Amino acid sequence: MKPSSSVRSALQVAAGLVLAGTFGTWIATGSHRGWTQTLSMELHVDEVTGLTYPVQKPGFVAGVEFPAGGAALAAILSGLSLVVRRRSSASSVSAVQS
Amino acid sequence: MKNQSFRNTLQLAVALGATALSAVAAPQTFDFKDPKGVNNVQFRLDAPLEAINGTATGISGSITFDPSKPSATQGRIVLSTASMTVGNPVMADHLRSANWLDVASHPEISFEARSLGSVRTEGNRTLADVTGLLSIKGIQKEVTVPVSLTFLADKLGARLGDDKVKGDLLVLRAEFVIQRSDFGLQPGKMTDKVAETIQLTLSIAGAAPRA
Repeated sequence: MKPSSSVRSALQVAAGLVLAGTFGTWIATGSHRGWTQTLSMELHVDEVTGLTYPVQKPGFVAGVEFPAGGAALAAILSGLSLVVRRRSSASSVSAVQS
Repeated sequence: MKNQSFRNTLQLAVALGATALSAVAAPQTFDFKDPKGVNNVQFRLDAPLEAINGTATGISGSITFDPSKPSATQGRIVLSTASMTVGNPVMADHLRSANWLDVASHPEISFEARSLGSVRTEGNRTLADVTGLLSIKGIQKEVTVPVSLTFLADKLGARLGDDKVKGDLLVLRAEFVIQRSDFGLQPGKMTDKVAETIQLTLSIAGAAPRA
């Protein structure tokens, strides 16, 4: 296996992992349609009055920038893998010609 | 002699009963500053690109309520704008900035009840449409809000976890919507991310201690 081929494969695998990881995190934390939140809200009920009240706790909810950023990074990695393929093809052709 | 004693006992009983009735039926002033931190307002803005959920707990004010005459209810509820928060700290800073709520110049949002309509009472619960002046960022607008008032007699001690404390509770719930353009909150701007309609849910309880 040529080094360029293994780099290309690594970039493509990394692109797939980034895409799956960011989308997976976004979906797993509730597919929030907004920016990432670092505080989550838990609803409690007051026994005497029956009122519902929110209690804020540190908690991570991935926002839309997660899948968007993941898709952008995956596209960059895929693009790099194409560049590596072209460069390796060009160097092979020049080696055969010489 | 026996008749005289019976008459005195009867008079005493009537006097005590009348005193108790007048104590229960008299208008009471409920203080909505909540030491337990339960009182809250939740707000929701559902724009095409972003849903914003937030809460506020800095509530104060008072309401005068008479269980025997709920239509005479009056009062003012005040919300500290600095207590309003959302799950994203950066967004919370934007919310409090001069562009939006301008917390530094307008530290309070208030609602002053002027009149009650469509009043209906069932048991200890009164439903009514409360008309009053809502003041946000220095702009006052008359709004009508459907409100539920629940009178909880002798429940103050239970709420505070101290049976020696005597008093009543008034629980107020309301759900209504306002338009942000009505109060000068960046009218017409960024409507794809910040909805024009603000959904508000008010869940508060006031206390009227008895000596």
